[in-house]
Amino acid sequence: MAEEADFKCLRCGHRFKAPYSPKDEPQERACPQCGSNSVRRIKEKAKGK
Amino acid sequence: MTDVGRHPRIELLTLSEVVDVQGYIGNFRIKVLRKARYVDEKECTACSDCLEVCPVTKPNEFDLGLSTRKAIYQPFPQAVPSAFVLNLEDCLGNNPIACGKCAEACDLKCIDYDMQDKEVEFRVGTVIVATGMDVYDPTELDEFGYTRFENVITSLEFERLINSGGPTEGHLIRPTDWQLPKRVAFIQCIGSRSEKRGNPYCSNICCMNTVKDSLLIKDHWPEVEIKVFYMDIRAFGKGFEDLYKRSKAAGVMYIRGIPGDIREDPEAKNLILLSEDRNEGKVVEHEVDMVILSVGLVPNSDSPIIRQLLTLSQTSDGFFMEAHPKLLPVDAPTKGVFFAGCAEAPKDIKDSVTQASAAASRANILMSAGKITIEAITSHIDEELCKACGICARVCPYHAIEFDKEKKLPARVIEASCHGCGACAAECTFGAITMRHFTDQQIISQIESALGENPQDKVVVFACNWCSYAGGDFAGISRLQYPPSVRIIRTMCSGRVDEKFVLHAFKLGAPIVLVSGCHFADCHYISANRWTQKRVEKLWDKLEKKGVRPERLQLEWISAAEGLKFAKVMKEMEELRKGVTMEEIEYTQKEL
Ligand code: SF4
Ligand code: SF4
Ligand SMILES: [Zn+2]
Repeated sequence: MAEEADFKCLRCGHRFKAPYSPKDEPQERACPQCGSNSVRRIKEKAKGK
Repeated sequence: MTDVGRHPRIELLTLSEVVDVQGYIGNFRIKVLRKARYVDEKECTACSDCLEVCPVTKPNEFDLGLSTRKAIYQPFPQAVPSAFVLNLEDCLGNNPIACGKCAEACDLKCIDYDMQDKEVEFRVGTVIVATGMDVYDPTELDEFGYTRFENVITSLEFERLINSGGPTEGHLIRPTDWQLPKRVAFIQCIGSRSEKRGNPYCSNICCMNTVKDSLLIKDHWPEVEIKVFYMDIRAFGKGFEDLYKRSKAAGVMYIRGIPGDIREDPEAKNLILLSEDRNEGKVVEHEVDMVILSVGLVPNSDSPIIRQLLTLSQTSDGFFMEAHPKLLPVDAPTKGVFFAGCAEAPKDIKDSVTQASAAASRANILMSAGKITIEAITSHIDEELCKACGICARVCPYHAIEFDKEKKLPARVIEASCHGCGACAAECTFGAITMRHFTDQQIISQIESALGENPQDKVVVFACNWCSYAGGDFAGISRLQYPPSVRIIRTMCSGRVDEKFVLHAFKLGAPIVLVSGCHFADCHYISANRWTQKRVEKLWDKLEKKGVRPERLQLEWISAAEGLKFAKVMKEMEELRKGVTMEEIEYTQKEL
C-alpha cells in the first residue's frame, strides 16, 4: 500500500490523510474541504498536539 | 529525409543517442553515442546480397511484426542512409564470426564485426527537440479484445497493411484468413479522452486519420461496408470538414457511441460489437469482419531522459511544456531550445511541419544575430560574500549557476541562461546574491511602506508576475471586489520570496502574510515554485517553534485565469486577519 501522512489545512483546520513519501517530488496539495493550498504535513512527533 | 541526408551543411547522425548536454544558449556541448552499425555506411550500396544469405528471421519492427526481417537489414525502404545495419543481438549466437555468411557475401567488404560504439562531442548554438511520440497500446482495454482476437488491429497496423510498401503490398486483408474484409469497423478515441483508462487528452489526429483511412478503403474497394464508432468527430482543420463530408457521401456510416464490448464468433472469427447509438437512443449489435482501434498518441518513452538532459519541463499529459502557450509556443523554457512536432503535443503532419519551420526560423534568428539580448532581471553573485556552499546551483531550475564542488570557488551565474526567477537569491543564506530590479532592498522597502501605518489592518500578499499577480489583474478587470486591506508585492516568481521577507513583514506587525504563485504545472520557471513550497513549509515549523501560529502564513497557487479564485482567497485572508489579536502581533514582533 502507498505510504500515507497526516495533513492539516491551515485555512479551515480540516485534517486528512493523503499519499506521501519522503522520496516523492514535492506535490501541489489542496485541502479536500476548502480547496486551499495551505496544507501542512503533520510530522510524527507533533501528531499528539 | 533524403534531402536532409544529402545537404552539405546537415550532418545526420542515425543510430545515435544523446548522452550528455552541457552549456547554454549559443554554447551547448552535446555528447552523442554513435552506436556501431557493423556495416560501413559510406560503402554499402544496399544491394541485399547479405540479406539473402542471413539465416536469421525476426519480426520486422517497422511493419509492427506483420512481416519479417533478417539480422542484417535496412530498417525501412526509405531509410537514410540507405546502408544496411546489423543487429548484433539478433545475429547468430550473438557472435557473428560463428556464422559470418553476410561478410562472405558482401563483395564490397563493408561488414566489420569489430566495429565499436563511439562517443563524439559537438558544439552547437541552438537545439531543436523533435523526438516525436509513441502510440497508445490498447492491450489493457480488455473489452476491445486487442491481442485476444486476431481481427482486432490498431490504426497503425492498418497503416502498414494498406501501404503499398507494406507486408501485403497494399492489399487490405484480415489477419485470420487473408481475405478482403467485407465489413470493417473503426472505433475512435482508444486511449484518449478518458479520465479512467488511457489518457484524458484528445490525441488530435485520430478522427481525421480514420476519415482518411475510410476514404482510402472506399476508393479501392467501394463494396466494403464501413462503420465508424465515435464520441464526436473533431474535423476542425482546413479542408477537414470537407473530407469528413466526402467520407459520409461515400457511404461510410458514422455511429455516435463507443462499443462497450467486443465478442468473437469462434468459427468465422467475425467480431460482434455491442453499442448504444446515442443519436438513435438504442443498443444495437453489429457484426463485422475486422475492427480497427483508432489509438491515441502518448509521449515518447524516452521523454524523461531528454527532459533531464535539456532541463525541460512537461505538462500534466507528459508532453514537453513550451515557454508560453500563446506567445512562445515553439520555445522551450530553456533558452536556445525549441520544439517541433509531437514532442510538444499531439499534432498532425501539417501542424508538425508548421512548428518545425517556426522552430528552424527561431533558431536561425538567434544564430544569424550571433548574440542575444537578455532581460535585466538576472541574478548576480558577489564573489566576496559567496561561501561556495553550492545551494544556489542546486536550486536553479535552468542550471544557470556554475559551481565546482571540488575547487570550492565562488559560484558564478551564466547570465545567458538565467531567467531571473530569484530562487537562488532566496536560498542563499549568505546574502551573496542580488536579483537585478528585484533586490532585497527593493522588496523590503515595499514591505515597509505597505506596513507603514496600521500594519494590524493589512494583509501582505507576495504574488508572482505570471500567474497570481495576473490573477489579481483579472479580478480587477472583471470588476470583482476584494477587501482593501490587501497589499500586493510582485516578484517574478514565488521562488524569489525569501524567508527574511516573510519574517520582516511579521516583525513589522503584519497579521497575515500570503505567498502565492503559479500552479505546479504552470510554473514559468520550470520548478522554481517547488522551492517556494519547501520554504513555506520550513517557515511554518519555524513560526510554530517561536510560538507563532503557523496559520498566519498562508500559501496559494492561483493561475492568471483564476480572477475569481484570487478575489475569494483575498476575502479569506481578510477573515483570517480579523482573527489575529493585537497581543499575538505584539508577541510575534518581540519573538522574531
Ligand atoms: S548559495 Fe550563496 S554562498 Fe552558496 S554558493 Fe551560491 S552564492 Fe555562494
Ligand atoms: S535567478 Fe533563477 S534562473 Fe537565474 S540563476 Fe538564480 S535560480 Fe537560476
Ligand atoms: Zn481547508
